[in-house]
Amino acid sequence: MRKTIVSVSFLLLTAAIFFSACVNEDSIKYQRYYSDGLDVYKIHCQNCHMDDGKGLAGLIPPLTDTTFLKLNRKMLASYIVYGLEDTIKIHCIEYEGKMPAEKHLASIDLAKLLTYVTNSFGNKQGIFDVKEVEKNLNDYIKANN
Amino acid sequence: MKISSIFILSISSLFILACNSEPRKLPILGSREPVEKTVDGKTVVDTIYQTIPAFSFMNQDSAIINNDSLKNSIYVADFFFTSCPSICPIMSKNLLTVYEKYKGNPEVRFLSHTIDPKYDTIPVLKKYADKLGVKGTQWSFLLGSKDSVYLLAKNGYMSYSKENDSIPGGYEHSGYFLLVDKDKRIRGAYDGTDKDQVAQMSKDMDVLLSEYHPK
Ligand code: HEC
Repeated sequence: MRKTIVSVSFLLLTAAIFFSACVNEDSIKYQRYYSDGLDVYKIHCQNCHMDDGKGLAGLIPPLTDTTFLKLNRKMLASYIVYGLEDTIKIHCIEYEGKMPAEKHLASIDLAKLLTYVTNSFGNKQGIFDVKEVEKNLNDYIKANN
Repeated sequence: MKISSIFILSISSLFILACNSEPRKLPILGSREPVEKTVDGKTVVDTIYQTIPAFSFMNQDSAIINNDSLKNSIYVADFFFTSCPSICPIMSKNLLTVYEKYKGNPEVRFLSHTIDPKYDTIPVLKKYADKLGVKGTQWSFLLGSKDSVYLLAKNGYMSYSKENDSIPGGYEHSGYFLLVDKDKRIRGAYDGTDKDQVAQMSKDMDVLLSEYHPK
């Protein structure tokens, strides 16, 4: 009996340690993605969408429309890689500009960038994984062929 | 008693001094030439300052903007193009804040010259102005032939920086805002992508305006 109690509690303890290590690793990964993502944002996006994500008047949409970004989460990677030239409604304002394609970003950089964007400017969507980026881009290619 | 009156005296003289000190004046940029001329039979030396050469361009509403239409205003000039992915959106955003400050003031104008006349036709410029929230002619987006705009940039607005030939993208795409007075002299040059410099320009514009309204 005593033995079982000891071994069960040992098991529980190790499980707890593993679990917390996992959680920790996740949050470390998130932090890393987020801060690297900011660097990518500064280089490739800030010129247009501005440091505060507010865009430029009726010309460049802000990245503060949390509903739009949530509803279009699957499309975000493709907007960046293939550009966007559409009529879109952000915060009830129509934008019909043109965002140039940014073909030179690796999936990992896209994941970091999107982690930054979808968790800044009022957004709170959690981590954007490399796998998710690659799946989204593949789906986009399939749908458009 | 004595000490305190001395104290009050010195404080008040400080105040008087502060009041009498010349108001800050902006420098006049660009080349200058001394010329001799005769006034009342005496020879005096006068200085001729460099000015912006005459021009005539069409704005987003197809109105002609030339030297004459600007004679009663100070203005800010810059060079841009509507499809520019790099520095132009930030410049427009920064200039927009200054425009908002002086909106409706007939003494202050803004001229943005496109350097891509092929793409930036009048309707394209009109749409750009609309989307930016700019109405009327106070801020004009100007269309001219590539050559004339380039020459105006080189011989007019950017010539104050002759020694600096290495501006990336060339004179006409340097990202600068040039502040010009009513006599078409350049009174300031500011990096249009830098918030702090643009804030300085906004202050300098008040200083320049006060030259025309002496107390
Ligand atoms: C040259 C300017 C420019 C650059 C650089 C740029 N964008 Fe955009 N972006 C736009 C414009 C214009 C639109 C609107 C396009 C439309 O109307 O179809 C847009 C739309 C978007 C949208 C969807 C609408 C919204 O506001 O949520 C997202 C998300 C976005 N951009 C993210 C990015 C990211 C991330 C980067 C950096 C890789 C980037 N953009 C770089 C101009 C730009």
